[in-house]
Amino acid sequence: MIRTEEMLLNVGPQHPSTHGVFRLVIKIDGEIIKEATPVIGYLHRGTEKLAEDLQYTQIIPYTDRMDYLAAMTNNYVLCHAVETMAGIIAPDRAEYLRVIAMELGRIASHLVWWGTYLLDIGATSPFLYAFREREMIINMLNELSGARLTFNYMRVGGVKWDAPEGWIQKVHDFVPYMREQLEGYHQLVTGNEIFMSRVKGIGSYTKEDAINYSLSGANLRCTGVKWDLRKNEPYSIYDRFDFDIPVRQDGDAWARYHCRLEEIEESLKILEQAVEQFPQDGPILAKVPKIIKPPKGESFVRIESPRGEIGCYIASNGKKEPYRLKFRRPSFYNLQILPKLLKGENMANLITILGAIDIVLGEVDG
Amino acid sequence: MAEEKGLEQLKKEAAEKAKAAAAAREKGAASAKVKEEPAEKAKPSPNQHILDKYVQEIENHLGKEILEDSYINRLSKDIPTLVAKPDTYRKVAELLKYNEQLAFDYLSELHGGDFETHMEVYVHLYSFTNQQAVALKVKIERSNLEIPSLVPLWEGANWPECETYDLLGIRFTGHPDLKRILLGEEWIGYPLRKDYEPYDVEV
Amino acid sequence: MLGLMKGLGYTMKNLTRKKVTYDYPNKPLPLPDRFRGIQKFYPEKCIVCNQCVNICPTDCIQLTGKKHPDPTKRGKLIDTYDINFEICILCDLCTEVCPTESIVMTNNFELAEYSRDELFKNLEWLDENDENIRKVNKV
Repeated sequence: MIRTEEMLLNVGPQHPSTHGVFRLVIKIDGEIIKEATPVIGYLHRGTEKLAEDLQYTQIIPYTDRMDYLAAMTNNYVLCHAVETMAGIIAPDRAEYLRVIAMELGRIASHLVWWGTYLLDIGATSPFLYAFREREMIINMLNELSGARLTFNYMRVGGVKWDAPEGWIQKVHDFVPYMREQLEGYHQLVTGNEIFMSRVKGIGSYTKEDAINYSLSGANLRCTGVKWDLRKNEPYSIYDRFDFDIPVRQDGDAWARYHCRLEEIEESLKILEQAVEQFPQDGPILAKVPKIIKPPKGESFVRIESPRGEIGCYIASNGKKEPYRLKFRRPSFYNLQILPKLLKGENMANLITILGAIDIVLGEVDG
Repeated sequence: MAEEKGLEQLKKEAAEKAKAAAAAREKGAASAKVKEEPAEKAKPSPNQHILDKYVQEIENHLGKEILEDSYINRLSKDIPTLVAKPDTYRKVAELLKYNEQLAFDYLSELHGGDFETHMEVYVHLYSFTNQQAVALKVKIERSNLEIPSLVPLWEGANWPECETYDLLGIRFTGHPDLKRILLGEEWIGYPLRKDYEPYDVEV
Repeated sequence: MLGLMKGLGYTMKNLTRKKVTYDYPNKPLPLPDRFRGIQKFYPEKCIVCNQCVNICPTDCIQLTGKKHPDPTKRGKLIDTYDINFEICILCDLCTEVCPTESIVMTNNFELAEYSRDELFKNLEWLDENDENIRKVNKV
């Protein structure tokens, strides 16, 4: 007689496929997952508490460390929240620099996802190709801001640095190069039969579930909800660009894969237009007081990060420090659906499902 | 010697500049204040009618004196904001979700805040069917930090409520699994409260 | 099978491409001028205005000033200046607020030490850190 017993298995907190310190306690019966409980908080640094003693400019470097794969969007959401409250409008040139930086970041982030996701499910070389292209983006952002990941580039009312000599041309040249590489990626992976059988129909959920579980980003768009804050609630200067929102209907890992790769294409479109429209001259910082004091009250803004909706809530009492600061961290919300997706799944699909959600643990834990 | 003098000069200049800038800042701040006030009173928000619709709908279904307050939050992109009472919070939320005119099917954000005299829970809702947004707030007495959970309505409120419980100590009744999600069960105190004292100041 | 072969084609195509890797420890990493590395400090330029201490988000800078030895001159001179690189995040805010550019960034980033105590850098060390200094510090 073959008898199976339920077993408790810890995945993580130190596990390469969890992309950080994330623990998953799963109850398995043979190969089948009966129950999965995510355990998070290993990377909680108390950003929100720390921020209560910091001026707004000082909080910007802290935001870099939340979603460290796309720190530009994090910089932006804080600046955007303060600007909304204080009624500051950043100059055009600064907004273009911000958009270019953010879209480069979005591409870099999706490349990391693409590379590591395939690495997780057993393909090594895509990772190397993705990092080759990502390195180019990182180098460009390094030239712009002076750091490779923790940019600390944006300021309330503008940006810290103007584009260096010839930088815009570099971005301009990068767009066709990246398009070509993207085609190569499809050639390398998308048509691969093994890959298809690993992701098609895996980890699928319905549109209703996605909305009910507050998913956002590609996790929401893969179920057919055409929702992108860049288009639906335009912020910054996104209304000046012509781009699409990639949507898929199936809601499985395969759909999310396509959504993300197509998003790279859309970001390239935005970059192309932004470089073309880039103002020749102008200030990069609005006239803001050295110590920024937003008016009394509260504000919540949300923007589209590579992982979904990132929001920033500020309650101010008119002082130079925020009274309460809260970030809506998309990975934190997106991860909630994981136990539901894993229930009843095969063990081998665990990493496929987890990877397809695209989490950054720095963001999950805040 | 000459070089030293030059440096001295530079330092002096820098100090003077800083002073002048500080004075200019104060002036600027003062003038900005004067300008702002009349402009604020000027015209009603473009979202006023949306807020009126929400309030009307709530009054029609739940009666009057359900809401503590309702206003347009101008600092937050003119979002209609409803302030519920702790005992009507759940009812209002239910209506916001199931009423066809409102139909807020997406919970975008939920968090709490300690305002010393009271605590607050802030919920940002969005409706994909009607393409509208609302902020729902509720003020809770510090002596009785309990509020109904929204998880039965929006599954997405699960972890954010745990986080609020973890960092502020607001208990959500009816939550399926309320736990200290970030700090762990052994943690003493609620760090985001204003009267929180860290266990070890140095670390 | 077709998809697999196609993918292999891409790999073959990449065999002929130029190498993109760095030979890092053997050759220094090429870094842009703006790169934020360990700070260089000019004690003679400092006016002890304390702005860097106030702006530092992690409170890693400590300084003390002394009175000018010449009683006819006003202002202060820097006495001690320490940066704790255990917690410094190289965010660039100290160099941004410095009115006399007495603290600037360099392109040096190697900070590995055998003891945490060695990460506590004082005025002399920061003064001697004078290689690869950033050329442009303010926009």
